Amino acid sequence: MTLEQLLADTKPALLEIQQRDLTDIKQAKDWQSKYRVLMQLGKKLPAIPEKMKQPELLVKGCESRAWLLHYHDKTADRHYFVLDSEARIVKGLMAIMLCLVNGMTTAELCKFDLCHSFDQLNLKPYLSQSRGNGLTAMAERIKACCPAK
Amino acid sequence: MTGFDVQQFRQHFAFFQQQPDWVYLDNAATMHKPDAVIDAVSAFYQRHNSNVHRGAHRLSQQATAQFEQARATVAGYINARNNHEVIFTSGATAALNQIAFGLMHTVLQPGDRILLTQLEHHANIVPWQLHCQRYGIIIDVVPLTAEHQLDMVAYQQLLQLKPKVVSFSHISNVLGHIQPVAEMVRQAKAAGAITVIDGAQGIVYQPADMQQLDCDFYVFSGHKLYGPTGIGVLYGKSQWLETLTPIFAGGEMIDSVSFINTTFNKLPFRLEAGTPNIAGAIGLSAAIDWLQNYNIAQIIEHKLLLLKAFYSGLSAIKGIDILSLPVHNAGIVALNVDGQHPADVAELLNQQHIAVRAGQHCAMPLFSYLAQHNSAQHGAVRCSFAAYNTLDEVNRCLLALEQAVEILTA
Repeated sequence: MTLEQLLADTKPALLEIQQRDLTDIKQAKDWQSKYRVLMQLGKKLPAIPEKMKQPELLVKGCESRAWLLHYHDKTADRHYFVLDSEARIVKGLMAIMLCLVNGMTTAELCKFDLCHSFDQLNLKPYLSQSRGNGLTAMAERIKACCPAK
Repeated sequence: MTGFDVQQFRQHFAFFQQQPDWVYLDNAATMHKPDAVIDAVSAFYQRHNSNVHRGAHRLSQQATAQFEQARATVAGYINARNNHEVIFTSGATAALNQIAFGLMHTVLQPGDRILLTQLEHHANIVPWQLHCQRYGIIIDVVPLTAEHQLDMVAYQQLLQLKPKVVSFSHISNVLGHIQPVAEMVRQAKAAGAITVIDGAQGIVYQPADMQQLDCDFYVFSGHKLYGPTGIGVLYGKSQWLETLTPIFAGGEMIDSVSFINTTFNKLPFRLEAGTPNIAGAIGLSAAIDWLQNYNIAQIIEHKLLLLKAFYSGLSAIKGIDILSLPVHNAGIVALNVDGQHPADVAELLNQQHIAVRAGQHCAMPLFSYLAQHNSAQHGAVRCSFAAYNTLDEVNRCLLALEQAVEILTA
């Protein structure tokens, strides 16, 4: 597995999440249905092979670990990501995060307000959960991919 | 019937009226506070607030009297020989740090050994490690048996290496197992070691009698004994407290200061630098006073009933892997759902208003050990029960777990 392959497999998965699953989550009639969808999201993303999970990719939550790969296509100025997490619900939530930012230009990524977007999806409570599930840490890591001006 | 009226007991906690939807099973992390504690803390701030030991006015004298009465209450509760053997700290972690720091040089010399156990909380590992590395002191570790209990044969063998200090927990914060502390102290003393007990989980299970136990140090946090956060107790025998180098300096702990030399105040003050947590100490003493209205044996029996119901309910749910033993258990159950990450299980419980903790519970060495034997490579879900929990809450937790398993394995 190479970074190219991972990026190629991640892209359509995120697109599918954005086009189909986000609506399902928004329209879920109860929490059980919402979580059933959430847990399926993570499965759609390719797993990062163990040997590629270098320490610098680790995004640490108190309860579970996640990994984020970032690729900046400098010619087109587009940011692409690949992620993995030990925990399925967290991976699903992180997948939503990614599909919101994947393919953004540097200017878009710097401007992007994750809190606001999660609020619109009724997912904001997950972001405020301190260091527990690692979502805030992941959000910060994604933002940190903006090159300093 | 246990003779313990849990509904009556619960009525002392405003929290349960404020949050009727929640089943709180994270008691090993912190406990709820009865009205008696909240009232004592606010009464102090409203009516008596003054600094202690130094004011020229009567208000300060009254605050000092209350603070010292709190010390006497704690000393009485743990049956210390003297009130000055109770040092107020910010918690068990601070107390363990003071002991580890304070014994370096004064007692522990390069090449000495200390003995810890595999199931210690990080607070009873890292403070030692921090100094032991610097001073060239060797740390030995008591392993566990296949049942996740301390290997007492190995313990005896390791004591033959003549450790100067032996430090272990009264009750495991992850598994809930009650350690044979009396026997462990006896053997450690026979081997000539200073004994330190981390009573963070132990003190709420049953009062520890310092004269009977005869350990050299015993530490605990107030907030795990119905008291406020930010207050803890470092109990030590006078001779050892006198030996400790203070980790913090300044304020009441000083006798005289010049730029050539400083001499320290007598116990307990020499180990209580700065303004202490006066309201915290008063709150903790209110918790102890209040708790003494109840029969601890009945509370233990009540918690055993909860534990029994929980274990029996768990056995009916498919795919539950229980790490804690039901016997010699203080009311903490660590478990996993086969093949599922504990964070996922805990999140699905959270959705159902069941408060538990997931992860490695500040005991990574224990989990690296458990991972070799169980499904616990990502940690565990921990359900910890307290006297105010009810059988109905146990059932709600079991139903929620069943629902979680169903969603996770669908």
